[in-house]
Amino acid sequence: MWCTKSAAERRYLSRVLVSMAGYVLAIAGVSWMFAHYHPQGAAVYLLALLPALPIFAVIAILGIYLSEEKDEFVRTVLVKSSLWATGFVLAFATFWGFLQSYAPAINRTVNFPMYCVFIVWWVSFGLAEPLVRRTYK
Amino acid sequence: MKNRLRVLRAEKNWSQADLAEHLEVSRQSVNAIETGKFDPSLPLAFRLARLFEMTIEEIFSDDGSS
Repeated sequence: MWCTKSAAERRYLSRVLVSMAGYVLAIAGVSWMFAHYHPQGAAVYLLALLPALPIFAVIAILGIYLSEEKDEFVRTVLVKSSLWATGFVLAFATFWGFLQSYAPAINRTVNFPMYCVFIVWWVSFGLAEPLVRRTYK
Repeated sequence: MKNRLRVLRAEKNWSQADLAEHLEVSRQSVNAIETGKFDPSLPLAFRLARLFEMTIEEIFSDDGSS
């Protein structure tokens, strides 16, 4: 069964869970700091970096998983899925950038913070993986 | 790439899961290799050859596609 997890996958999932817990804590902490202390200057940059760090970690964790996973077929599926997701995100971000330039009204109607590209990547990855896997059946 | 894995596996009365366990890969890997949709790496091809006590050429044949 596909759901049988390798040791590398179990490590990957536990690492992601820890990072996501860190992300939730960082978001809560930073939001609280901004709400109560209204930081200025360099502190704003440092605080903005805090919730991004667990996301950086998740990207690194995916890379570690790819290097630790012994099953070459699983690695191939993951790499192809991530390439599809990366391609989609790059295309989407490019289109969105032009849309912001040529149809600035979009900025008033749709709030799309840049950090959401990570979510778009994961959704794309999640959609691409079963499709990539299907090509091998 | 064509291969005789399904026949060789049947001769040993192994399921795909059994073969996957011997090779320490997922059952999906075995299925993808058997159907010729996924070409194994050279190390995995050697592991298969050792497992069935054959040469790689006796298991896999180049059908001309890359």
